[in-house]
This record gives sequence, structure tokens and C-alpha cells, in this order.
Amino acid sequence: MLYLVAISFVVFKLFGSLEGPTRIGIFWIIMVFTAIMVINDSFSIHSSRRRLALYQLYDPIELLTAKLVSNFTKMLIAGILLMTMLSILSNQWLKDWVLFAQVFTLAILGIVIIMTMVSSMTMYSSNQNSLMSVLSLPLLIPVLLIAMRLSLISERMFFDTAVSSNLLMLLGIDLLSLVIAFGLISFTWKP
Amino acid sequence: MKILNNNIPKYLGVILLLYVLVAGFLVPLKPGVSSFYPKSVELNEVTTFSITTYNTFHTQSAEVKVWVRLDSTTLLSATEVRVLDDNQLQADIVLGTTQTQMYDLEKALSVIIDNEIDGYMIYPSAILVKPSKGATERPILGSIGRLSDVRSVEAFRFPYRSILYETIRNTFFHVAIWFAMFLLLIYSCYHSIRYLRTKDLHSDRKSEALINVALFFGIAGILTGAIWARFTWGTFWTSDIKLNMSAVAMLVYCAYWVLRSSISDIDTKARISAVYNIFAFINLMFLVMVIPRFTDSLHPGNGGNPALGGEDLDSTLRCIFYPAIIGYTLIGLWMADLNYRFLNLQDKYEIS
Repeated sequence: MLYLVAISFVVFKLFGSLEGPTRIGIFWIIMVFTAIMVINDSFSIHSSRRRLALYQLYDPIELLTAKLVSNFTKMLIAGILLMTMLSILSNQWLKDWVLFAQVFTLAILGIVIIMTMVSSMTMYSSNQNSLMSVLSLPLLIPVLLIAMRLSLISERMFFDTAVSSNLLMLLGIDLLSLVIAFGLISFTWKP
Repeated sequence: MKILNNNIPKYLGVILLLYVLVAGFLVPLKPGVSSFYPKSVELNEVTTFSITTYNTFHTQSAEVKVWVRLDSTTLLSATEVRVLDDNQLQADIVLGTTQTQMYDLEKALSVIIDNEIDGYMIYPSAILVKPSKGATERPILGSIGRLSDVRSVEAFRFPYRSILYETIRNTFFHVAIWFAMFLLLIYSCYHSIRYLRTKDLHSDRKSEALINVALFFGIAGILTGAIWARFTWGTFWTSDIKLNMSAVAMLVYCAYWVLRSSISDIDTKARISAVYNIFAFINLMFLVMVIPRFTDSLHPGNGGNPALGGEDLDSTLRCIFYPAIIGYTLIGLWMADLNYRFLNLQDKYEIS
């Protein structure tokens, strides 16, 4: 939280004014790096003994669901906090906050699913932090591209009639990654 | 336990690729009109047009005809056609007011040129008709023809497209290599799924070998595409969505290498990289197949352009293009087979 407040203040100082595309771009970049920090530890934080206990107690799908819900809540709080900070600093509220809320929820869900899955893969490797960003950033690009585009529309930077089809595509990516994640987690999660 | 069990696919691949190389480079293009000047004509005025054609033999043919297409079936011939050399023509065209009821003055008219050696060539939207500035009314000067009067020649030739010209032959390399890459990736994904079900390390090595070759094909596809882009769009790299998406797709698979090299335990490495491969493949489908269709792109198949069909891929191109895909895929499987055997030996003797 302190990190988010500090970084939004630094960004505000750096750019002077935060408006339109700058605000959206900064927002998503900070969100991605926050996600890397938050989600990176979701599997590796446990010691090997605790991992064994979790393995015996829970089904991998239960564990993944729990991790997803907790990560999603954390990212939701972080995102709302960050947007509030940026809005206060730029002295300007979002123009179409209903659309932005939809985009934000779907995109955060996609980011959380993909990153949680990647973090379950990286927990076996030696240099986890760098591997996390190397593996997840290319996979996140489709989600981020659609999210940026839609949030620019929500800022009224330009108009587009294909909003609902883009939202559906975002939802499609989310559902697809969710299905694959649930299908594959039993292979990655082993102590 | 090999990717290819006998030699027939290898020979077939080599033969198909030789056929693609020879036929792809030797078959000539259809004749076409490369320039047509001036762009407009005044009613009742005699206008002399200079026409440059490509891949034609006007001096050897007995009669060259230049037609203006008035409506879907009616043609008006030029009053006089002078052949300057094989690729240069001059034609006098008069559009009299008596013909104005036959065509739409708002639209640009197409021009058709034909001779008995090369067949016909069409230059769409060539002439704009302007109202006359006081010239006297003329009767019909050129002869009126039907569309069936145009002579055509049956020959095995590639279509002539403006902007593309001879580079249309790159279809057999750039497009076919990308298709082969996708087939190899699908096969690699299949082996990853197989590994997760059977825990057979051979499947894991096969999937790695297939990805190595597919990445090689991907780089080859990007290079051939860059050369093609230089000649058609003017630069090696544009900010076209499909280019960026394919670059990202390459990054995703490079990350696969990084992942493999960072895990030391063989079974964990195989398991995790199989999971990543499946995950990445479905993402790649989204990157290269779905997203570009929602935005404008210079590639055919995006932003409402026809993909593989219509005029861009006619039956002569298909005769080379489909064998090219099969040929590259077979050669790719052969390369993957060699790579797989190498990986087997590497694991056996623990060379790193």
C-alpha cells in the first residue's frame, strides 16, 4: 500500500500532470509490476514442510481457487487504491467509470489467472523473480492490449463501436485461461 | 520411438520443396498493365493514352486491341492503337455523347487490353469521364464489342497484382513457412499433453525438438516477411498488429527455453515445460489468430480483406502453395527428428 502511494506520488512529480493516455498507461504499467510483486510469492512463500501439509490437506483445484480469490482481492484493492491516488493527484475523475470498472475487473482477473499459473510453474526454479517476469509478460500482452484500448475509450480519448465485442474477448481470454489453469494445476502443484 | 519412422516423408518433403522452388520461380506472371496515362478523358475529344504493360509481347502479335468497358457486357474499342514496343502502347480513345446513356458518368471506367499471344489484361478504374468544354458532338467512333470478343489465353501463370508484382511468389515461402510452423507447434502441443498423461520422457524431448524447429521456422517467416514488406509496404518493419503479435509469440517461445534452462531436475523440467507449452500455445492462438482480426491490418485476412481465397490465392498459386505447406512441414519433422535424436543422446551421456 505504501509502495503504491509512494510510486503514484513519484509518477505525479515526474509527469507534472496526469491526464488522458498518460494516466491510463501509467496505471496499467504499475498494475503489472504490482501484480508481479504480489503474485510472485503465492506458491513459493511456503516452506517445504508447509507445502507438504497443504499438499496433503487440499485438492490442487481447491488450492488454486483459494490462491486466485486471495490474489484477485489483493489486486482489486491495489487497483482501486492506485486509481484513487492517480485521480486525486490529477484532480480529475474517470469520465466513463462504469466501462472502466468492467474492463478493470475482467483484465485484473485475466492477469491474476495467468500470473498465478506462471508462479506455480516458477516455484521450482532457482531464479524465480526474473523468470516470473520473463514468462508472464509475453503471455499478458493480449489482456493488456485490450485493457489499454478499452480504458482509453472509457477516458473518451477516442470512440469505438466495438466495445462490447472487445469486452467479450477479454471475458473469453479469462474463461479460457481459467479452464486451462484448472486443468493443468494438478500437474504443476507437487511438493 | 522416432518422430519419423521411415524415409518416405523425407524424400517426399525434398521432392515437394524442389518442385516448389523450381515451379515457384520459373512460372511466369500473367500480363498486366503497370501504367496508364492520362487518367481522365473529356467527352467528344480525341485523347491519346500512353500505356505501359508488363510481361507482354505486343510486337509479335498480329493485332492489339484496347477496350473501354462501358457496362457489364458492352465494350468500346479505341479508334487507333499504335504498338511502340513489346511493353509500350499508344491508344486514341473517343467517348462520344451518343454513348453516354450506356454508362454511368460518375464511375471511373475500366480498360481491357488484349492480344492473341498474351490474352487479356484489365486495368480497373482507369478513366474518369469529364463533361466536354464546347467540342462538337460526335457519333460512335470506335466499334462496340461484347465481353465475349476479348481474347483469352489458357496458360499456367501466376496472377498479376499491382504492388505485389513478382513478389507474389513469396506466398510459397513466407505464408507456407508460417503454416508449417503452426502445424509443428500443434504437434508439439500434442506431445506435451502426451507427456503429462504417460510421463514418457521421449514425448518431452519430441515436444522440445518440435518447438526448436518451429521457432527456427518462425524466424525464417519473419525474415521473409520483412523482405516482402520492404518491397510492398516500403519498410522492413511496420507497426502492423500482426507483426507485433508474431514478435510477441516468438518471445513466448524464447521464454520456454529460459524456463527449461532454469530448472535442473529432469522430471520437474519436463512437467513444467509441458504445462507451459500448452498454456503458451493457446495464448499464441489468441495472439496471432484472433486479435489481429479485430483491428485493422495491412495483411490480407484482416480488417475485412479476404484471407486465403478470392483473388489473392487463385488456382495456379494453390497448385504450388499447398505442396509448399506439406513440403515445409515434412522437412520440419525431419529436422525435429534429428534434433530429438540429438537431445536423446545428450540426456543419455549427460552432456550439457
